[in-house]
Amino acid sequence: MTGPFLIEIKSLRYAYRQSGAGWILDGIDLKIRPDEYLLICGASGSGKSTLCRTFNGLIPHFFGGSLQGDIRIAEIPSTQQSVGQLFERLGMVFQNPEAQLFNGTVEREIAFGLESIGLARREIERRIAETAETVGIEALLPENPHELSGGQQQLVAIAAVLALLPQTIILDEPYANLDPVNVRRVRTALRRIHQNGTGIIISEHRLGLTVADVERIVVLYQGRIVLDGSPAQVLKQDIESYGLEPPLAASIGRKLGLAPLPLDIDGLKSSVSLDNLPVPPAPEDLPTIYPADGDRVLMLDRVCFHAAGKPLLRDVGLTLSRGECLALVGANGAGKTTLLKHLNGLNRPTRGEITVRNRPAREMKVSQLARYVGVAFQNPNSQFFKLTVWDEIVAGAKALQCYDESWIRELARLFALDPLLARAPYRLSEGEKKRVAFAAALAARPDILALDEPTAGQDMFFRRSLGLLLRELQARGQAILLITQDLSFAEEYARRWLLLAKGEIIAEGTPGRVMGDQAAMARAHLEPTDRFRLYGGKKY
Amino acid sequence: MKNLLDPRTKIIIAMFFTILVVASRTLSWLLPQWGVLIVLVVAIGKGRAYARWLRLSLPMALFFGAVTWWTADWKTGLMAALALLNLVSVFFVFFSTTTPEDLGNSLVKAGLPYPVAFVFSTSLQFVPVIGRKAKNVLDAQRARGIPLEPGWSALRHYPAFLGPLLIQAFQLAEELAAAMEARGFGRPGRTFYRDYRMGPTDWLAVAITFLLLTACLILQRM
Repeated sequence: MTGPFLIEIKSLRYAYRQSGAGWILDGIDLKIRPDEYLLICGASGSGKSTLCRTFNGLIPHFFGGSLQGDIRIAEIPSTQQSVGQLFERLGMVFQNPEAQLFNGTVEREIAFGLESIGLARREIERRIAETAETVGIEALLPENPHELSGGQQQLVAIAAVLALLPQTIILDEPYANLDPVNVRRVRTALRRIHQNGTGIIISEHRLGLTVADVERIVVLYQGRIVLDGSPAQVLKQDIESYGLEPPLAASIGRKLGLAPLPLDIDGLKSSVSLDNLPVPPAPEDLPTIYPADGDRVLMLDRVCFHAAGKPLLRDVGLTLSRGECLALVGANGAGKTTLLKHLNGLNRPTRGEITVRNRPAREMKVSQLARYVGVAFQNPNSQFFKLTVWDEIVAGAKALQCYDESWIRELARLFALDPLLARAPYRLSEGEKKRVAFAAALAARPDILALDEPTAGQDMFFRRSLGLLLRELQARGQAILLITQDLSFAEEYARRWLLLAKGEIIAEGTPGRVMGDQAAMARAHLEPTDRFRLYGGKKY
Repeated sequence: MKNLLDPRTKIIIAMFFTILVVASRTLSWLLPQWGVLIVLVVAIGKGRAYARWLRLSLPMALFFGAVTWWTADWKTGLMAALALLNLVSVFFVFFSTTTPEDLGNSLVKAGLPYPVAFVFSTSLQFVPVIGRKAKNVLDAQRARGIPLEPGWSALRHYPAFLGPLLIQAFQLAEELAAAMEARGFGRPGRTFYRDYRMGPTDWLAVAITFLLLTACLILQRM
């Protein structure tokens, strides 16, 4: 047995080889015991993922770069141990499930690491069975990992490292692409794994998903550790200045000076009576919705869509007017993106009618519809091909022959892209890339702006600035369709919601009304926001 | 069914069948071969998948046949179409009963270096992933008015398609390499979870199909 600490880091500084951005980690001192449940959090670019990569030797062995200071794993400097030696002690689950599952079946996926350490066939068989049971994926063993849902993939990735019986598992933003049901599934599995004696280190910026599970929180800001302590100790501090959003219960508890600090809504409700709660801040006035039919820019009438013999959309109807921000909410696989692709003709309805600016969409080609409907898909990397941000933004408008330089200048100002215009899109941070994609979607001055999961993986700074931007666009009369499963974002910026489940709209109205429909929310596999759970529908 | 035979046995049998198809010169030989293949497809329970596969491969075979008809005569054209159909059907049966890893791992047993086999089987795994990414790129570009519909104009805009796709493929490759490293790829002393051994059934199957092939070839020449 080693000493009490599995990971000991002293005055660590690190920079990637190619980046000219200076130290990504800038003076880290950290000690982690092998059985801890630890959360590493911080805004985008704070160095969370980079720090995680130092734990299992990927930094410096795989990524290179310049490193100062000392990293010891089980008392041996990590520079003296290869990744191939460390991975038995420290299993790593990466952010992107697609790129870490590379076998034909789940069974093979779990077997891969066990084969690497040279176990006998019997032992491999035993470990696969054991791990699958712990994680709850016995039924998936013969399946192809690439055909599973995001949540199932995450569980498989966890099982694949857990089978190696590591002392600690490191997970880099495991909830990034999961809907609430899958988040709950993975959280339950992680709690069980921790109870069985395995340590867990998790990196995440949405605190609400983790604070109730973890024993310790380390907050990173600009490559330094700024806070380190129990959840209650850390949440007592002002973490918003580090770009982190505290769970609503903790932030209210902090204002009221409650001790112990409640970490979730149930905890808050049990420690203070509802009457003593501060009145929620008045919702900021949103621009009024233009009710007149003349301003209607989009209408879907009983749209059905079948693919490969399966109904993917059923009788979907919606309207969108100038100056309105409509949220289409639903879990993964509800059909949100399928519906979105109908607006610009990438999908054509099997039945039903779509009208864009009072003209049937079926009469228009994709390239014509692109003039009226600007779409920013979830992954901006799917569209960047120019060498500068400026060229990237104008590419669509030029192809559509409606390039207007003054408008592009205005967009660059609105999206705070001026300092980035000459840079290569691929060199930007993920948040900056998203802003470029949003600006590109508006380059042709479309009547409708549709954003697909714009807040996925983004921190508080990004969410707030996007929110302000949506209001500004709305005030100028832009019609916005927000497609998201981020309900707390949608409740702040969209007055009207459509709830989509299995290709059908099952509830419609204000956020309060939709979240108040418990049966519909359960059917849609969504959970109401903290704010709704605390104040009910009153606030909407 | 899937694991009844060693992957190497299946390779040999597929090879025999391919030789038979290529050596067949009359419709009366090619048609029954297709019949046998369809029986095999039904036996492994892949009827539906095969029907979908036919939707793609049938037009290809017919086109090939038409070209042959145009340069020779209709009978040769029909035979060419049928021969091509049989060949792709052999591949269909082979790949629906053999996973890429099984194939790769059994070839490692037969002496192929592990990294080579791994690259081979993993690239097959990622074909659908890259396919999905390609679709996303097409959708994203068309959505902002860059014409990538099939046609001549698409050629002019190919950087809009290839650029994002290639960069994403490189990113995927780097992430994949890190994930493989973190699970011990390249560490000496690797064992194999599944054992690949040519058992009596395998040898018997090879012998029987060899005899059948020889018999068919002789009968055809008579």
